[in-house]
Amino acid sequence: MQQTDSIRIAPRDPNVVMRLARLGSFHQSRLSFMRVLLRRLKAENWQFERGVFDIDARGVGRAVYTAHGPHRSYSLIAFANDLPPEKRSDRVIATEWDATFTLFDGIPTRADLERLYQNVPRQEAGRITETELSLSRANRSVRLWDYVVDCLAHGQQPDQGRIDDVGYLMRTTAVYGSGKFGAADRETTAERDEFQAPFQIEMLSVFLTRAFVMDLVEHMAALRAPETAVPLAPKLRRRFGIGNSTGLGMAPFILNHPALLNNWIAAREEALARIRALPEATPEAAQSFCDFAKRARLHAQSWQSEHPIQIAKLDDLRADMEALIAHLAEADLTGDMPWNRLWLWGETALAVEGQELLASLLMEPYGDLVDGLSCCMAADEGATWRIDGAMQVSDLRAITQDVYGWALEIDWAGRDATARVWYTSEAKLEPRLGERFDEPIEPYEQPLCPGRDAARMFADLADFPKGPVAGFLLKHPEHRHVVRRAQIAARLPYAEIRDNTIDASVLPIDMLRAKLSFFGACHFDPRSDRWLRINMFQHAPFPGELAGGNADDWTYPYLEGRA
Amino acid sequence: MTWSLNEIEGLSRKAARGAGLSWGLAEEAGKATRWLCAAGLPGAEALAGLLRQNDGAEYETLCPLDDTGTWAAKGGALCPLISGAAICDHAKDIAEGKALELGETSFPLLLLPYVAAAAQDNETTLTLEWPGLTVSFGAETCINQTIPGALDRDSAAGVRITSAPDGDGTPLAPVTRGDITPEIAQILTEFAHRTYAPDTAQSRLAGAGAGLSDND
Repeated sequence: MQQTDSIRIAPRDPNVVMRLARLGSFHQSRLSFMRVLLRRLKAENWQFERGVFDIDARGVGRAVYTAHGPHRSYSLIAFANDLPPEKRSDRVIATEWDATFTLFDGIPTRADLERLYQNVPRQEAGRITETELSLSRANRSVRLWDYVVDCLAHGQQPDQGRIDDVGYLMRTTAVYGSGKFGAADRETTAERDEFQAPFQIEMLSVFLTRAFVMDLVEHMAALRAPETAVPLAPKLRRRFGIGNSTGLGMAPFILNHPALLNNWIAAREEALARIRALPEATPEAAQSFCDFAKRARLHAQSWQSEHPIQIAKLDDLRADMEALIAHLAEADLTGDMPWNRLWLWGETALAVEGQELLASLLMEPYGDLVDGLSCCMAADEGATWRIDGAMQVSDLRAITQDVYGWALEIDWAGRDATARVWYTSEAKLEPRLGERFDEPIEPYEQPLCPGRDAARMFADLADFPKGPVAGFLLKHPEHRHVVRRAQIAARLPYAEIRDNTIDASVLPIDMLRAKLSFFGACHFDPRSDRWLRINMFQHAPFPGELAGGNADDWTYPYLEGRA
Repeated sequence: MTWSLNEIEGLSRKAARGAGLSWGLAEEAGKATRWLCAAGLPGAEALAGLLRQNDGAEYETLCPLDDTGTWAAKGGALCPLISGAAICDHAKDIAEGKALELGETSFPLLLLPYVAAAAQDNETTLTLEWPGLTVSFGAETCINQTIPGALDRDSAAGVRITSAPDGDGTPLAPVTRGDITPEIAQILTEFAHRTYAPDTAQSRLAGAGAGLSDND
C-alpha cells in the first residue's frame, strides 16, 4: 500500500479564534457535551425508569426519573408547581418557578424526597447536600403550554408550525452544578467515567428534564379529559427540545476558567486541523459531508430570532449555506487535501457564521478522528493556576506583548474602551453589566477585563527593568490576578479571550454563545445584548428510544425522505 | 450544615476581596481556606479572625519587607495571605536551600496551604515552624504540635521555612465537606457582601438586559 505523506496543519492562531465576534459565531459539533453524553448512554446501554409520577390536576406534585448506568444510578427529582402567571420570570431574581429539579446521586428514599421537597422548590434560598449533583428550574412557555394541553385533551395533535415557532414546552432558567448551594463538588465525581467530560451532570439533568416535561404535558391533558385525551404523536414529540434562558452568569464563568476554556477550544481546533490535514477523502465521507451541509442549511432556515443582531447573522449564515452547497456541486472533495482546500475557500468566501459552521460540519463524517478528543476537554484549573514567581520580568513583558498585544494598542483613557463594568448585584447575587460613567458601580467591579488590566500591568512593568516577577508582585499586588492570567495564557494558547470585555460595544451574548455551543445548544436567540434563549436536545431521542435508534445523528433536520 | 468546598472557596475569596485584598491575593486566599477546610483544619475561623483584625489596614503595613534578612511588616504583624503568596513566589529560592525567616505573623495557620504549594511545585520537602509547632510538607503533610493550641493561635512571634527532609507528626486527614459555624459564616458573609453593588431600580432594569419579554 502506498504511503501518503500527510502534511501537518497547525491549529488556528488564537489571535484569530479568540475574538468575541468569532466566539459568538460558534455552533454545536460532535464535541458538544450533549452529544458526548448521548453517545455514552447509548454505547453503555443505560436503562431508564420512571419510579415516581405523582402529579395532580393542578399540575402540582413530584416525579423521579432514574438512569441506570453500568456502575451507578442517577435520579432526576422533579417538583411541579402551580405558578401564578405574574410570578413567572426567567431572571435570576425570580423566586418561584413552574418546576424545580435536582439530580440525585443514586435512588432517593422517601426521606430524601421529603428533605428535598423542603429545599429544591426554593432553589437558591434552600440547601442541598453532597448526595445532590445539580439544582435547576424551568418555566412553561406561555405561547405553547396551554395550547398543547388543549389540543391533546381534545384528542388532536398540535400544529407542527406552532411547535416549531417555539421549539420547547418549558425552558430552564438556571442549571447549577459543582458545589452550588451545598451540592456535591465536581471534584468528588470527576473521576467517574460518565462525568469525565465537562458538564455531563448538567446535560444528564436536562436530558431527563425533557422527558419529564413531555410526560407532564400528556398527563395534564389526560387529567383534564380522560375520555378524549391522546398522547403526542412520536414524530411531533421529538420536535420539542428543552428551552433555556441564559444570562450574564456564563460570561464570568468562561473568564474564570481559563484552562477549561483553552481545553474546549484546543480540542475543537485540533479536530479541525486533523481533518484539514487528511490527504484524501473516501467517496462515502465526501457524500456524508454533502448531506450534512444540506441538513445544516435546513437548520439555518428553521432558526428564528427577532433580534436585529441575530437576524443579520442569520442572513449571513443562510447565504453562506447557499454558497457552500453551490461550491460543493463543483468541488472535488476526494483528493489533494480536499478538506483543507474547502476550508481555505471558506476563509474567503464565507462570513464568520458560515466559517464556524463549516468547522463543525467537517467533523461530522470523522467520528473516529474527533470523538476521542472529548476526553481532553476537562481541566484541572489548579494545575496551571500558580504564579511562577521566578520568571524574569523581561519574560513577563514578552508574554504580555504576545498574548495581549491587541490590548496594548487600545487607548484605555478613552471612555468607550472602559464604558462597562461587570459587577454582582446584592439582589440574589445576579451578575450584571453596568455603565461606568453613569452608575456608581465602579467600586464593585469584578476582574473580568483582562485586556485593560494587562495594559495597566504592562505600564507598571516599565519601572521594573529586571529581576524576578516575585519582586514586582510584592510591590504591585493589584496586578497579581492578571500576571496569573498572562502566565496561564502563555502555556495554554486559547485560555484568554483576545478582545475588550468592557468596551462600549461589547456583546456579552458572544461569550454566552461560545459556552452554549460547547454544550450543544442550537437556535441561539438573543433577547437583548446580554441574555438569550436556546434550544437543547431538540429532535434527540427520548431515554427509552436510545437503545433502538441513532444517539448522535439528530442535531440537524433530516433530508426529505430519509430518517 | 456542611458546606461544599467550592462554596467555602467562593465565600473566602469574596470575603478577602471585601476586606481590601487585591483580586489576585483574594483568589489565593479562597484556595488557601479551601485547602485548610479540606484538611479538616479551622481555616474559615482563621480567615475570619484575620480579616476582622486587619480590617481597614493598608497593604503597605502588612506586607513583608526584608531589609534585615527577616521578613517583617511595617505595621507590626505580617498578613499570612500576603506573605503566603510571596512564599510561593519565592519557592524556588527556598527549595534551593535558602531558609526564610518571618517576624511576627498573624494567624500563621493560613500559611500552611502556601507552603504546601511551594513544596509541591518544586517537588521538594519543606518544613514550616513556629513556637510549639512543626509542619512537614513532603510525600505527606504531617503536623507535630508540641504546645497545645499552637496550630490555631492568633499570632506567632517568628516563623521559619526551610528545605528539610520529611519530619514526624500526624498526617492530615482529608475531608470532602467543610463544617463552618453560623457565626464564622456570618463574619465572612458580611465581608463578602462588600463586593456586591446595592440593587437599584436602574441596575435591576438594565443591568441584566431587560430586552424582550421573559414570560412568553
